[in-house]
Amino acid sequence: MSLKICSVYFEGKYTPEYVEKLYNGLKRHCSLPFEFICYSDNPNVKADVIIPLKHHSGIKKHWYKLCYFSPLFANQNPEDEIIIMDIDQIIVNNIDDMIGYPVTDNELVSYNKWWGGKPRLNGGFLKFKSGQLKVIWDDFMKDPETWQLKYFKKGIVHYKYYGEQNFIDWMCEFHNIKLTLMPPEWVCKITNDEEEDRQNNINYIKKFNKDYMILDKPHNDIKIVHFANPNADIHTSKYSWIKDYWI
Amino acid sequence: MRIICVNTGDKFGQWYVDNLKYMIDNYSGLKYDNFEVITEEKHKGVFNKLQMFDKFRDGENLYFDLDICIYNKVPNLVREKLTVLKAWWRDRDHTSFNSSIISWTGDQSHIYNTFIKDPMMWQEKYNKGIDQMLEENFVIANYDKVCYSIKNNQYNEKDKDYSIVLFNQSQYLMEPGWSGWWSNYFLSR
Repeated sequence: MSLKICSVYFEGKYTPEYVEKLYNGLKRHCSLPFEFICYSDNPNVKADVIIPLKHHSGIKKHWYKLCYFSPLFANQNPEDEIIIMDIDQIIVNNIDDMIGYPVTDNELVSYNKWWGGKPRLNGGFLKFKSGQLKVIWDDFMKDPETWQLKYFKKGIVHYKYYGEQNFIDWMCEFHNIKLTLMPPEWVCKITNDEEEDRQNNINYIKKFNKDYMILDKPHNDIKIVHFANPNADIHTSKYSWIKDYWI
Repeated sequence: MRIICVNTGDKFGQWYVDNLKYMIDNYSGLKYDNFEVITEEKHKGVFNKLQMFDKFRDGENLYFDLDICIYNKVPNLVREKLTVLKAWWRDRDHTSFNSSIISWTGDQSHIYNTFIKDPMMWQEKYNKGIDQMLEENFVIANYDKVCYSIKNNQYNEKDKDYSIVLFNQSQYLMEPGWSGWWSNYFLSR
């Protein structure tokens, strides 16, 4: 069994340094052996394995992540554990407990989005056993065009071709896939909207009985900070603590 | 005998042409005189395939799509009459034809001549592709079951009753990063 941490990079919103800094963060804060894979349309990203991404298959943006649900992708072997991670995240403390979180057959492990909103899971971290959830990829490929626009057309997401998290959540429901959410205090969300971030800080303190979420640095119980908003970028963020962690 | 393929647009690339030739030369058992590649983009998408009827008006012709895997000796696929596949592996949908493999002997240029009189009309009328156009407008025979489709079979072992598998809408399975039993028969990238 091996552990594959899988990412997707496409030119547009981000730069290759997002991949590099996620990779560096994983190497710095994870003592478990893993292989870091990036499915990328830019060959100059830092990863153990780079799979060239060609843009003519009708798949859009973050939906490329779904490829990893197929056991035929990324040189997967039976019994491998697969983790799909978004690149807009900063690892701030040791994440062995998160990377090594136990997963069984027909189960998907994700973040607990304590800050609310739907869907239940967060596409920033998805862990499963190779091939166990291939139905997610197979169902998607039956009609990718419809799925990729469904949540936008219904007004559930506000950006065209967003909604892959909603689709995965629906697949879990539809196919009775067990959804396990990790301890919520391990993750927090930054939006670059100071008021929203301040409110999240307050909520974190109240919900988890902690002194703070992020002051001059993230709380020691937080393992990952997710810039989980379409308008939130790490490289334009004003928070000074970032320079000590996003390296 | 002439083997023909078409590589226009950006859907495929040179590797796909080289790969087809590699599989034909190494696994198919086919003996041929010429390997012809049509690259000129004269029409919309798959309608470029029709150029073969204009360019090759004599002798035995055998056309293959690029998104196939040939993994064993193929049965005799060369036909006197114009012949295409029948998509026995799926519901009929808009057509039962599948033009991933085509063969004919002699001159079938009337097909291209018909098309070229009004390409816009044909491309608009048959916007799902040339298979329906061929089925509804020309006298064309069908092969028996000479190959199968990877659709719904991608997790299975290779079917030893056949020597060719078509990827069609699952062409992504041929791209870098994807692998299955078929990868062992492909040209190294």
